[in-house]
Amino acid sequence: MILELQNIAPQRIAAIDSNNDKLTYAEITQLSQRISTNIPERAQCFLLVENNVGGIAWTIGMLESRKLVPLILNVKTEESLYQQLLDTYKPSYICAPTHVTLEGEIVDSQFGYQLCKVSDNLCILHPDLSHLLPTSGSTGSPKLVRHKYENIEAAGLNISTFFELKETDRPLMVLPLYYTMGLSMVFSHLLVGATILITGLSMTDVNFWKFLKEQQATSFTGVPYSFQILNLMRFFRMDLPHLELLTQGGGKMPTDLNTKFAEYCRDKGKRWIATYGQSECTARMAYLPAKWALDKVGSIGIAVPNGELSLIDAEGNPITSPHTEGEMCYRGKNVTMGYAREQADLVLGDERNGYIRTGDLAYFDEDGCYYIVGRMGRFLKLFGMRVGLDECEQIVQTECGIECACVGTDEKMIVYITNADKQNEVKDTLVQKTHIVATSFEVRVIADIPKNEAGKKLYSKLSFT
Amino acid sequence: MTNLEKYNAIFTEIFGATADQLGDNFSKETVSEWDSVHQLNIITLLEETFDLFLDPEDIMACTSYNAGKDILANQGIEL
Repeated sequence: MILELQNIAPQRIAAIDSNNDKLTYAEITQLSQRISTNIPERAQCFLLVENNVGGIAWTIGMLESRKLVPLILNVKTEESLYQQLLDTYKPSYICAPTHVTLEGEIVDSQFGYQLCKVSDNLCILHPDLSHLLPTSGSTGSPKLVRHKYENIEAAGLNISTFFELKETDRPLMVLPLYYTMGLSMVFSHLLVGATILITGLSMTDVNFWKFLKEQQATSFTGVPYSFQILNLMRFFRMDLPHLELLTQGGGKMPTDLNTKFAEYCRDKGKRWIATYGQSECTARMAYLPAKWALDKVGSIGIAVPNGELSLIDAEGNPITSPHTEGEMCYRGKNVTMGYAREQADLVLGDERNGYIRTGDLAYFDEDGCYYIVGRMGRFLKLFGMRVGLDECEQIVQTECGIECACVGTDEKMIVYITNADKQNEVKDTLVQKTHIVATSFEVRVIADIPKNEAGKKLYSKLSFT
Repeated sequence: MTNLEKYNAIFTEIFGATADQLGDNFSKETVSEWDSVHQLNIITLLEETFDLFLDPEDIMACTSYNAGKDILANQGIEL
């Protein structure tokens, strides 16, 4: 098996959710064997998940079966995007919580989920293709990341190694299962036989805090915004003796907040580990070892075990001296195979061969620790979720019928338009389509959107803040 | 601006909601976008607008348009 689950004591609890449902390692193995036996040929499946034990069981069950190749999606995926994905990829199966109405033949049902056969058409899937994740959960792009089985194994091994995960760990998982970092938490903890505490409860819900305390969580993983919530919820005044490790990913955290958590962990004998990663690399690619959490606050640290970071200059030549900016590149077995934009792409093999240019500008210091200084790619990370700027421009074009230019920082997107009458409509549309809080968008009216002679937008002429 | 108008403006800013949508039925259960991010944004804007410092209990309790009014009432702010 990919995650060697057969080596874990069968009756050990793999996951507990905030409905108090439990899942054993044996139950995951049995489900994967059943899928493997019952599904005649490798087939594509849309897996709509919630953060509960059923979500983990079906995700891992499908991956380990090597029969069903899931596109893992939020059960609350916006309807028009979901429809677009269905039309584009035409899955043979859909698996969803039982409260979701599915049309088709129910072929299996367990852990509060149903597996439904929705089409007889089989598409050809590359033998290495393990699963698919959306590149951008919110802007409605049907572009997917193609993962291979080896990525799961590598992510599980790398991440459990640098976090020093062990069987007795009880990680609290609030990140969604369909989000690369959430999924990698599952891989790395199942590999060591730990018990995942999974919840879909909001961190502002009283039951969330009850779950954390009653289940004696030993670690917490979040995106910058999760830690802003912890801070506002007066986390530093709580008594949480079991909590031993705090880990952060999903974008750069404000320095003062990062320092506050690092100091808290130092004073309380806990570990604070900031990480860096991308969906294209099965989540984690770099981490800042806890010993440097304060001295090098803001650094993404060093490559994860079995990975390699490097820098190249504008001509593509390697940069070998510290404090020199260049594009950061990564090499490792967690690098995914490439993207899919249509069903026919699911037959494609590995287009990256373990190497990727990240699109992030960075430098490294004398100790080899990397610092991100900017981004070449056209996307922001709002609340840890990647939001494509070009996709947002497309939404505005389609829904409001006007041209705009989207720029911004990971704190806020700035949308430039030329028609003052559309200011509110543009904002409302983006809020509605992305489900991101309205305060994340600012719509500004300018006389003209700057362009070059070829008609290409000149984003550098616009203020990003 | 009256306190009620200021209060409604918070929901307009966060949810893009219009005044006639706000009322008994505007809550975490009925508004699909209402998640922890939105909830904390309400709290932040309540603190800024009415010059308050709210507790975790208030943050957790702020799950509807009406609940927000109760929080303000507890702080002695009349709408």
